[in-house]
Amino acid sequence: MIEIKNVSKSYVKGKKSVDDLNLEIKNGEIFGFLGPNGAGKTTTIRMITGILNIDEGDILIDGKSIKKEPLEAKKNFGFVPDSPDMFLKLKGIEYLMFMADVYDVPQNKRKEKIEELTKKFGIYNELNNQIQSYSHGMRQKIVICGALLSEPKNWILDEPMTGLDPKSSYDLKEMMREHAKSGKTVFFSTHILEVAEKLCDRVGIINKGKLVFVGTFEEMKQKFKENASLEDLFLEITEK
Amino acid sequence: MDKVIKLTKIFLKNSFSNMDARMGISTKSKNKILIYGILFLYFAGLIIFLGYNLLDGLIAIHQETIFVGMILFMIFGLAIIQTIFSSINILYFTKDSEYLLPLPLKPYQIILARTNVMLIAEYLIIFLLGFIPLVMYGILTGAGIIYYLTMIFAVILIPILPVLFISIIVMFIMSFAKLTKNRNRFQLFATLLVLAIIIALSISTSGMQQDLTNEEMAQMVVKANGMVELIKGYIPTIDYLMEALTTNSLFTAIVEVLKTLGITIVGFIIYMLIAQKIYFKGLVGNLFGGGASSSNKKINQKEYRNSKLYKSYVGKEFKNLARNPVFLMQCLIPAILIPIVMVVVVYAGLNSEGMGLEQITQMLQQMPTNTFLIACAILGIIQFFTMFIYISITAISRDGENAVFMKYIPVSLYKQYMYKIIPNIVMNIVTIIITLGMAEYILHLPITTLIALFVVATIMGILQSIAMIIVDLKRPKLNWDSEYAVAKQNLNLVFPVLLAMLNIAIMVGAVFLLKDINVYLGMGLLGILYIVATVVTNKYLYNKQYELANKII
Repeated sequence: MIEIKNVSKSYVKGKKSVDDLNLEIKNGEIFGFLGPNGAGKTTTIRMITGILNIDEGDILIDGKSIKKEPLEAKKNFGFVPDSPDMFLKLKGIEYLMFMADVYDVPQNKRKEKIEELTKKFGIYNELNNQIQSYSHGMRQKIVICGALLSEPKNWILDEPMTGLDPKSSYDLKEMMREHAKSGKTVFFSTHILEVAEKLCDRVGIINKGKLVFVGTFEEMKQKFKENASLEDLFLEITEK
Repeated sequence: MDKVIKLTKIFLKNSFSNMDARMGISTKSKNKILIYGILFLYFAGLIIFLGYNLLDGLIAIHQETIFVGMILFMIFGLAIIQTIFSSINILYFTKDSEYLLPLPLKPYQIILARTNVMLIAEYLIIFLLGFIPLVMYGILTGAGIIYYLTMIFAVILIPILPVLFISIIVMFIMSFAKLTKNRNRFQLFATLLVLAIIIALSISTSGMQQDLTNEEMAQMVVKANGMVELIKGYIPTIDYLMEALTTNSLFTAIVEVLKTLGITIVGFIIYMLIAQKIYFKGLVGNLFGGGASSSNKKINQKEYRNSKLYKSYVGKEFKNLARNPVFLMQCLIPAILIPIVMVVVVYAGLNSEGMGLEQITQMLQQMPTNTFLIACAILGIIQFFTMFIYISITAISRDGENAVFMKYIPVSLYKQYMYKIIPNIVMNIVTIIITLGMAEYILHLPITTLIALFVVATIMGILQSIAMIIVDLKRPKLNWDSEYAVAKQNLNLVFPVLLAMLNIAIMVGAVFLLKDINVYLGMGLLGILYIVATVVTNKYLYNKQYELANKII
């Protein structure tokens, strides 16, 4: 469970990039975080994951405050950043083993989990190669594998579908559904409205740092125009 | 030609904007001028101080013209060393090459612009280390206008041939890039091969000393300005320019400068002819040929074995350093190479003056060696060597935008800083062991002194490692598009030099203050001083671990 309580953040004095944000992502839920470019999505994700300091308010991950108990809170989530260009000089297997060491994955689970994840994403045979030889999509897959290796309760994914081929995108969505079904949380940002509509239990739309809508797609349609397309609804909400 | 100038400007702007961004001064031009000014004055002052003392001593024994020869040799040597480290990066490892190739530019325009960047980088350093001492020589010896005009030609002409020569070697090796199956390993191999060739060449040429008898040597030293003969006969352009700078005849000066100019022009034409034939082969091969390493090897069961986090983290740091040719050359190799190159240079220098290492060793051993003065001198030399280890000063910046990884994993930032500086401490220890090994070979110091030196030098190395990661955290350079921007075009690299200078000043001060102190007592006092400094610096890093990471976003 992720609780965002009255969170604000300013990069420039007097101009809030995120303004008094309140959100609760419950266990067993897939939550999509939408918004136009520069709306505050990445800033919010960076505050949830501890990359950015929070100016006001607090964020709790399974009850642990990212402000007061950062290490405990960080153990409770797996994070996939928006750019997968990381640790390019390491081999795939070296990267995964490093992540396993960072997250204390038990010895007896490592092999099984690495094989399961990498075979699912079709990169098992590439594990002995350096990540820099991978395509963008493969890099995205290895980063996702690294984040999910420790079986974290909360998944936080920043634009996870970017660069994935249709099969991998489908597999990831299935994995997200399974994860939520087992009572755990998925929080992800995306630009692809169709993905959000089909996958998410609820969505949050942020615009100019303020949360302008939270709820299901049905609620969104009821609140705005019943027969409008998803795209029209999004544009109406964010361009008001 | 217009396009060459424009290209050169763009390449240079790119380099300097990197440096500005690093200093956080891109918009504040007043601050920029102030910071560059202070740095310039600091180094210029240091060079004037050292140069003046040396020249003054030489004038006293009527051997001042050897000073000109030494400076010209130094410019030549500096150009070689600088180009070894920069050419392969400037010519091949910058990402902009990929964008340049599709543009409607002629091959010679790109080659000329790249060569200009290398030369301009040389001139910046040579202005400090060559121009200033030569002007000082002119003033102190009351030289006329011919000297100053010739001097300008000398400073401009001397670095050109070494830059062209090294670049051709690099181009030749890189022209095989297309044939290789594993591009990364080839980049690494090419870098090391260039180094090996240059070292082999310098060792073989240092053996070409003139065979002089002791009597001839003695005559040269006694004869006014006779010592200059000792350094003649190695590099023709230096001989011509030395003649031009020390003559009173305008005609001789013009002839000698023209000879140098002629050789340089011929060298340049040959360079352009060869470069146009081989440069693009290597460039295209390096960018697109062979692909990156690829293997279908099955994963060994051993690879699934878990290890302690510190081992895993430090291993990751070492792999990142060793598998990246730019980081390997700029951060890891200097720790091993610089002490060895220095020994070769000193040995070659002694040899060319007719003294073998054995004679020097015997002479030194007749003096009392187990003294505080000698110990401080060795510590000073170690500081000089270790200031070229750039691991800690680039520890955060090397990760680039990926540095945010540190902030979202469940490992304390302080622990991660410590893991990141371990390679710096290890390479410091490697340098210390090599240097102490050489000192032991020459001076036969007691084992207890060696241990005391090792302990103090290692504490100084730990202090350097902690202090430098603090500097990198305060001024990180995370948005780079070429590793070269972090490991070379980075004004932060001046901080290890400043710290080493401060440490050397402390050594000099300690020698003056504690002149006849027992060597062990002296080392003990220095050890305590550096332990206190290290504890205080470490405490600061620990207490400010979160604030210091604020710039990593």
